[in-house]
Amino acid sequence: MSVTKVDYSKWKSLPPPPGFASLPTNKPSKVVNTSRQADSYAALKQKRAWDLAISPAKSLPMQAFMLYMSGGGVQIFSMGIVFMLMFSPFKNVAAINAAFAPFAPSSSSSKSFSTLFIQKIVYILANMLTLALGLYKCNSMGLLPMGTGDWLAFETRGPSPEISLY
Amino acid sequence: MHILSSLWTTSLLLFCTLSISPVWALHESEAGVVDWQKTFIGVPRTDRPQIAPSFLRVKTKEDETTSLVISATERTLGAVNPVDGSIAWRYIFEPLDPILGYYKSGNIIATLSGAGGSVLRVFDSLEGSIIHEKRLHHSQNGQLYSQRSLGVNVAFGAPKTTGGGQKTKDLFVLTNGHTVYRIDGSSGDLIWSWSALEQTSLVILERLTVTDSTIYAIGIAKSYASYTLHVTALSSGTGELLTTQNIPSSIENGSDDFFALSPSTSEDPRLVWIEKGVVKFVGLTPKLTGKPQSLKGSTNTRIVDVGLLEYGLFVVRRADGSASVFKLNQNAIESIWDFVDSANSNKNSDSMYTGAVDKEGNPYVGRMYWSFALQAGVLHVFTPHLLGGKGLVAGYTFPFDTNNDGIIDHYTLDVVNPDGLQVLSRIVVTTTTGAVQLWLEDKVQWTREESLSTVALAEFVELPERKGIQSSIAEGENIIGRVLRHISDAQNFPRYFVGFIKRFATGSYASVSAAISHESGLYRDEFGFKKIIVAATEHGKIFGIDSSNGHVVWSKILGLGSVASVGGVIVPVKMFVVKTVSDGEVPQVVLLAARRGFDDTVNTVAYHINALTGKDEANNSPGKDILQGTVIFPGKPSEAYLLPSKAKTIILLDSTNNVHFYPRTDESIQVFGELAPSLRFSLQTSGRSLHGYQIVQDANDKNTFSTYQTWSLSVPNNELIGSIIRPTQGPIASLGKVLGDRTTLYKYLSPHLFAMTTVSKSSPNAVCSVYLVDGSKGSVIYHASVASTMGTCNIEAVLTENWLVYGYYDEDFAGSHQTKGYRIVSVEVYEGKGINDKTRSSELSSLSNKTLDVHFYERSFETNQPVAALAVTSTKFGMTTKDIIIATKKNQIQSIPRRLLDPRRPKTDPTAQQQEEMLIKYDPVVPADPRLVISHRYEVANVRKIITSPALLESTSLIFTYGLDLFGSRVTPSNTFDVLSESFNKAQLVLTIGGLTVAIIIAKPMVNRKKLKERWFQ
Repeated sequence: MSVTKVDYSKWKSLPPPPGFASLPTNKPSKVVNTSRQADSYAALKQKRAWDLAISPAKSLPMQAFMLYMSGGGVQIFSMGIVFMLMFSPFKNVAAINAAFAPFAPSSSSSKSFSTLFIQKIVYILANMLTLALGLYKCNSMGLLPMGTGDWLAFETRGPSPEISLY
Repeated sequence: MHILSSLWTTSLLLFCTLSISPVWALHESEAGVVDWQKTFIGVPRTDRPQIAPSFLRVKTKEDETTSLVISATERTLGAVNPVDGSIAWRYIFEPLDPILGYYKSGNIIATLSGAGGSVLRVFDSLEGSIIHEKRLHHSQNGQLYSQRSLGVNVAFGAPKTTGGGQKTKDLFVLTNGHTVYRIDGSSGDLIWSWSALEQTSLVILERLTVTDSTIYAIGIAKSYASYTLHVTALSSGTGELLTTQNIPSSIENGSDDFFALSPSTSEDPRLVWIEKGVVKFVGLTPKLTGKPQSLKGSTNTRIVDVGLLEYGLFVVRRADGSASVFKLNQNAIESIWDFVDSANSNKNSDSMYTGAVDKEGNPYVGRMYWSFALQAGVLHVFTPHLLGGKGLVAGYTFPFDTNNDGIIDHYTLDVVNPDGLQVLSRIVVTTTTGAVQLWLEDKVQWTREESLSTVALAEFVELPERKGIQSSIAEGENIIGRVLRHISDAQNFPRYFVGFIKRFATGSYASVSAAISHESGLYRDEFGFKKIIVAATEHGKIFGIDSSNGHVVWSKILGLGSVASVGGVIVPVKMFVVKTVSDGEVPQVVLLAARRGFDDTVNTVAYHINALTGKDEANNSPGKDILQGTVIFPGKPSEAYLLPSKAKTIILLDSTNNVHFYPRTDESIQVFGELAPSLRFSLQTSGRSLHGYQIVQDANDKNTFSTYQTWSLSVPNNELIGSIIRPTQGPIASLGKVLGDRTTLYKYLSPHLFAMTTVSKSSPNAVCSVYLVDGSKGSVIYHASVASTMGTCNIEAVLTENWLVYGYYDEDFAGSHQTKGYRIVSVEVYEGKGINDKTRSSELSSLSNKTLDVHFYERSFETNQPVAALAVTSTKFGMTTKDIIIATKKNQIQSIPRRLLDPRRPKTDPTAQQQEEMLIKYDPVVPADPRLVISHRYEVANVRKIITSPALLESTSLIFTYGLDLFGSRVTPSNTFDVLSESFNKAQLVLTIGGLTVAIIIAKPMVNRKKLKERWFQ
């Protein structure tokens, strides 16, 4: 029978359990600590904002798969999916400031579009990707008036300059 | 995978077929409701006694006798029931096999038809079935001598009893003027035949007279100035020549001037002829030894065969017009009756004489004339056997309506002598307007308007809408007056309400017009199925026909105007609807006709007619029933057009291309002057060329216009222009054809396009052609050559929008390994080089080069029957699929769905995109599907033309065909998408809604009460 040697140093860096706080640090270091925390919090927000900005793009493969599964026919199920897909970008863009409000830096107004500007632009672009996917699906289902045939009914012809008598 | 896909395709095709099939078929319940048919025998030929109408007494199976009126034209032989004028039976002959005469003997009728009498047919008179038919010579060997002497005759031998106990009569048939056959009456076998020798070919045999032992063939031999009678006696049993010799005689008018009296087959016949005013006769014996004898009197002009030669009776006319009945008595021929007042006078018209035999076998001689004093027809019937053989004449007048039926052309008599001196007679009159009427004494029993079998032009005319209840609102009406007016208006409400309920509960698509048409007045029904068809015939009569049931609404005689005294014919040229209901006026048509007098004057005449009543709108014929026209110019019109302007002006061109107007008003000339520079038209100037013209206004006189030629088009040397087919008019719903991938083929919609077919002169490499020509500049857009069959091609074509369909018979080309058969070719013309290429063809100037920038799709199909006429359906907005309606030579009217004739049908299995376009795989055979036959069990014979017209429902197109028969129906090429289906359960819907309403009414207070209770006790 052999006894396993336990390496205690592993747990040295563990934070103390709740209620067993380590000794409070002195004041100056505390200030530095708070600002660092605020920084990391801002960075976290930034990170989350980026996550949100690219989230529509992340779900694209999943949505593409769903569209593929829904089939090419114009039916209630496929139409529902396509409608949601087409509608959500507009909904998202319309609520863009509200969506990014939680991640807005405390220094700037959460209502302003210029806050988190790059993230918002990326967010719009990612939503455009979703929209593009929806449009692609619509096109493949024949719902987009892309051909000349779709505009034929609006074409008109004037009378001929000559009149043939019959 | 392959199996799976083919399975998929098959099931798809099956699905398509199943889902499309009901569209094609006519429902059984609709047969006879949506369609109607009028059958005719045709206007009887009256110029020769062998073909003119006559009464025939037939023994029925129950050993009773019944009468039939036998009527014949060159193409039809038929029997009419004298009781009600219905057709008992009819038989239609082929065009190259015209009837030369019919010969009746009790229960059989024999006809000789074809050149020289090449075919003998024997009919059962009662049933109209053919007992036997025999070709006596090839029609190429037939000889036609002249209209008056055809050299054909049939005589019946004595009755004989065959092995089966049936009584038959052998037939002695003379054809080609020189060959005599004896045909067995029961089997139709040839017993013997005899032909005149070559050296006697100057003799044309005309008549046969039969005795028990001998057949006498009497003919005429041409001598210097006149004819000499020639008699050939043949042995009845063997056909051996007994004697042949000339009778010393000199006759002038050929076969009208001689006949043989043969009172019985055991007696020698007497040959009677007229020679220089003297009636002569000779007894015929096998040795021909008789000596000619003369009758007294030398002022005779004519001997009339009244059909009583077997009774030894005939009529002799004298120079002054008076007539006497002569009878063969033993060996003498003597006058037994002189008709009083029969000399020509200005009180009466010339008399017509005919004979009749009653049930007991007593002969009668009738005389008819028109009394100018009485304005009525007068009939005298001479009865030889009454008053102890002295004879008596019974006469009466009958009120023949000459303003509606023209002039009596021919009549045939039937007499009964019930008892004593009572003689009842009935006559069948054939008039110059083609009507056949039966008069019983002075009452007309029925009229058959046989001229409807000769319709030359027909047009659909829309009926006005029935106006709602209208009451005039007086000026300055006070409150009491107003209340009273509303009360009086409300009187009609219950009737309206009942009508509404009735229509709601029972009204149906199929029977709507039938239900409506019982109502009085000429108003359209809700769906516009009821229209007036104005039909102009070749016999100078014009008819208004109800398109929903085929009844004649009105009919008018086209007046001869200034040539009425000499007589003449009116040839309809064109008909235009000049006022329609949408103009807010009474619909009017103008018939343009060439009026040709018998004095060789030709005038172009316009008849301006109210389409609802047939009344003259130009007020040329005050107070008369006969329509009188307006003479526009002397001579034949070369063409007439309706100007596409608001004021409906007709322009006519005479033979020198001068422009005339109808109506000629300052306004119409001014409108024309404005339009003139842009007008283009084309005329066929010779057999091979077509010229295009423009119109120029005279610089000095603004009222004169002249034409100048702008282009000419000639077809190759071996072709002649056959027909020019104008495109059908109507709205164009779509400018192009959208394909499965949503690209477009733009239709070539030039408004100047027309089709032209050519016939071939008979040459070794004869071809016929179909052309599509741009009428503004004479360029050929499309050209196809088809094989010619013996120098003729009966190409039938129809052109609508950019779609040309033509049918023809394809003889096999030498060495091409093509099978012969009837083909239908479908061609579509599209703009530019291909998909999405547009040239805006419909608004292009003729000066543009792009008018020739076209491409085609073409497919040829095979049918199992020849096409007699082609048409395309037309609907109000042109959105409904256009089906092709064909009349086949099987006497049926058939529709061919456009999907079957689509020239873009792929030769391989259709791809997904082609399936989206509903294209089906190309199959060369157009299926002979009986469900496509819209005339179902009707026989619609010899159709010459089909016209179509839109109904108010976009789904429905009206059809009218004319030819020998008239047929009207309606078709729905894309199914009745705009009305509820017949099977829709209206009652159930109404009951459900009613039930739910009642349930709501009952439940609503209960629910309210319950809610209230809940509030209180919660």
